[in-house]
Amino acid sequence: MMQHYPILAIMTYFLGAFLIVIFGKNRTVRNAVGFLATAVPLCLLITLVKPVMMGGDIIAYWMGGRVPAGGYAIGIALEVDALSLFFGLLVATAVFAAMLYSFSYMSHDDNEPQYYTLFLMLCGGVMGLVLSGDLFNMFIMVEILTFAAVALTAFRNSVFGALEAAFKYLVVGSIGSSCILAGTIMLYAQAHTLNFAQLSAMIPGNLNLATTVAYALLFIGFCTKAFLVPFHPLAADAHGAAPAPVSVLISGVLTKSGLYGIIRLTYILFRTMNLGTVQFWLVFLGSVSMFVCVTMALAQHDFKRLLAFHSISQIGYVLTAAGLATALGVSAGLYHAMNHTLFKGLLFLCAGAVLHETGTTDLDKLGGLSKKMPHTTVLFLVGAFSISGIPPFNGFASKWLIYQAAYQKGVESGNIGFLLVTICCLVTSTLTLASFVKVTQSVFFGQLPKEYENVREVSFGMRLAMGLLALLCIVTGLFPGLVTTFLTEPAARAVFGANHYINAMMGAGYAESFGLADMLPVSFYSAGVWSPISWLCLLMIMLLAVAIVAVSSKYDQVSALAKTAAAAEAAAVAGPRYGSGSPAEGKYELFFGGEESVYSQVGGDDMFWGFKHNWRHYFSFMHNLHSGIVNDYALWAVIALALAMLYAMIIL
Amino acid sequence: MTIVMDGLRYLAYILIFPGFLFCFLTGMLLCGIDRKLVARMQKRIGPPILQPFYDFFKLLGKETIVPAAANRTVFLLAPLVGLAAQVVLQLFIPVFHFNAFRGVADVIVILYLLLIPALSVILGAASSGSPYAGVGLSREMVTVLSVELPLVLVLLAVAKTVGNALGTGLCFSLTDIVNYQIANGSLLTRLSMLPAAAAMLLIIPGETGSHPFDAAEAETEICEGMLAEYSGAPLAVYKLSHAVKLLTMTSLFVALFLGGIGGGVMTLLSGLSPAAAGAIGLVLEILILFLLCVVLVAVCVSLLHAVTARLRIEQLFKYYWTVVTGLAAVSVVLAWYGL
Repeated sequence: MMQHYPILAIMTYFLGAFLIVIFGKNRTVRNAVGFLATAVPLCLLITLVKPVMMGGDIIAYWMGGRVPAGGYAIGIALEVDALSLFFGLLVATAVFAAMLYSFSYMSHDDNEPQYYTLFLMLCGGVMGLVLSGDLFNMFIMVEILTFAAVALTAFRNSVFGALEAAFKYLVVGSIGSSCILAGTIMLYAQAHTLNFAQLSAMIPGNLNLATTVAYALLFIGFCTKAFLVPFHPLAADAHGAAPAPVSVLISGVLTKSGLYGIIRLTYILFRTMNLGTVQFWLVFLGSVSMFVCVTMALAQHDFKRLLAFHSISQIGYVLTAAGLATALGVSAGLYHAMNHTLFKGLLFLCAGAVLHETGTTDLDKLGGLSKKMPHTTVLFLVGAFSISGIPPFNGFASKWLIYQAAYQKGVESGNIGFLLVTICCLVTSTLTLASFVKVTQSVFFGQLPKEYENVREVSFGMRLAMGLLALLCIVTGLFPGLVTTFLTEPAARAVFGANHYINAMMGAGYAESFGLADMLPVSFYSAGVWSPISWLCLLMIMLLAVAIVAVSSKYDQVSALAKTAAAAEAAAVAGPRYGSGSPAEGKYELFFGGEESVYSQVGGDDMFWGFKHNWRHYFSFMHNLHSGIVNDYALWAVIALALAMLYAMIIL
Repeated sequence: MTIVMDGLRYLAYILIFPGFLFCFLTGMLLCGIDRKLVARMQKRIGPPILQPFYDFFKLLGKETIVPAAANRTVFLLAPLVGLAAQVVLQLFIPVFHFNAFRGVADVIVILYLLLIPALSVILGAASSGSPYAGVGLSREMVTVLSVELPLVLVLLAVAKTVGNALGTGLCFSLTDIVNYQIANGSLLTRLSMLPAAAAMLLIIPGETGSHPFDAAEAETEICEGMLAEYSGAPLAVYKLSHAVKLLTMTSLFVALFLGGIGGGVMTLLSGLSPAAAGAIGLVLEILILFLLCVVLVAVCVSLLHAVTARLRIEQLFKYYWTVVTGLAAVSVVLAWYGL
């Protein structure tokens, strides 16, 4: 029975999509179908954790029972090892939370049935991609998810820039999909098969110009799906325009499909390629993405665009860690991929909550929402602390492993480049913190503009979805040992255990008949110590002690006179204290006494000018580079493809 | 029975030494000594050394005013969380042989735990809604950014040097770093570590926000920035956190570069019985640690305070990312090639 769970998980999404087309007019039916279509795959995949993650089984499923004959796999196959299941679980969790959130978030939009149909098509596409056992199905799923994502980006087509963003995504996304198709064709011509297991047995013996160029093509194709540099501007535009739950899908789910593709490709299919040079490629691209996107994020003044750039910056971490080609590195990278799905989903949902209540995500206009939306503020802070790597939240646990893996790799290989990578990771983390301080100050704290006086907390359903993700952020941060033992280490073992993967599909002894050996002895040695629970206990005891002392000394005493005075003042002047606060005059007009708000460092866009001033040449260079013209971005894609193919031809 | 005893012992660690009470007393004393030294260097008489204690208790008795625009919960809770995180951090820094909690946090974790007190001040300031606090927190964040890069390099240099010597390649445990120095002499005596130590000396005033790196607090231009709206007990708690931070940063310097002094103490006491040597040694080591902290405060906080004027925030950033980072980078490169 367990054999059928993966195909059922994929089918449920597509079935849900079609059912909503037919019966979706009624809201109750629509929501029930949507809920079931996302909850059932999650449950199915969770039941697979025990055999696959803990038992090390690999589930091979041949559609129509067409098993391989004579050493050739012709039929359509699903193959679920720990790596696939790991990404599958991420997808199912994020999708479930986004669906819960959509129920009330999208209730004011027209065309709701179409939204849910596209939503579930996208989910099914990603799920099919990560569970698929052959390259051509992967391409089909890539097409499904790309077009669903394009349509969802433009779903609110009355929003300024939505159609433009969708068009950019369509153009560059199609270049990526074509690359994947071209790469698939080249591999098929060389190996006469599309099945992953068989390909990964055949390719090591057939590493020639054609297969390495195919690698470059597939790699660039998956890069566009993960929005790595130089494809990052698309993500910013798409996230800026898309509804919040769609942002969760694009950032938490769709980028993971790209990462999954890159990891599967590099470590299973092409594992005998010159690993040092591929490693340089991955780590370099990851570090560049990480750093460029975090600085781009610092320069943003729109909440969702800022989050979009951070999203790619965190993907850069994952790629860097996965490119280290050590067991600790891959495990740390997967851990971070999981955390990225959780905290990024949470942050996008918070941005959506702000948009839902205030109608804008412009950091220069918002402010002081913490008094009106206390729960959203707390949930946002959990997400912000997680992504900035503040202990004991989950982002810290995974980043800490990444720093160690990178430094350890450097020490082992004696290559000083990895030292720079470690430093880049550490600095990026602090820059991330800086930009989230900017968001916190500009959106949730500071002065409340008059037009948002009547803002209310979002509905319970939306808070429930955010709370679910926030809870997972905290739990995975507090118990890093459990996460690594039950989720990331089995997945990392699967990454380095290609022979097991081949034999599960093609029959025992198949991989050995090609004279293949597994790559590395898998060791998860880590030089560091971090025990979040002990730290939290210490902090709690200390906080209790400090709080008792504070309360006993009447910590927040207020004299009766001051209370009456405050009440009188509140009655007399309703409105912001420091300025008249009318939107035309800006947030802090009175304070600056007529100075132009451009020079303000109090909130909004230009908060860290002390930093940006020193980097002004870099920022103006980046500003000129990101022209926003789709021709430029398509050109970047072609240049990246050309470089990747050259690199593959000359060096690999 | 042993569980109860262990529990009591750990409670004593948390509340008395090296926890709350110890931090309170030594931190405030360091603060007082700093003020006195600065005054003497500027030919003033200066306040009594116990002045920070008087200030603290006086502030506790004052009324707490919460601005109308503030988010009350965050505004009042942030100072407490900051103080607790700061004191907990102190628990992980060994006092030569003595280490209350080993196996909880390594050097990289300490780097990030240092962010929590800074972050709590920032959040408290943000929640007050005051524009002065807004300017202050923007500058504080840039200061944190500036200091972070050289501090990372210093820690990596130390981790690599000790790792090379121990044969493990790299060593992130602060306990191991101190133990190595106790056995083999302080790291400060190595030529390759001198630039890193100099960088660390410049990081201490940046982290604690003293002249010339106090753009974030700048009383004369932005009314103490982030603390602008604070009064009464929460302000007292912030002052205490700041004092403890002085202790944390200086004792971190001692642990990273001067740990070898603990070995000297033990050879002095080698004639005594182990129990007596342990007890007397601990007292001596605490005294030595305190004296070293005073010297460090005098050198890198008081002296700089007395002779320099405040840097603008972008000058501060530039200074840290060029001069101080350069110093630390020299050490990292030397350590990398095993010098």
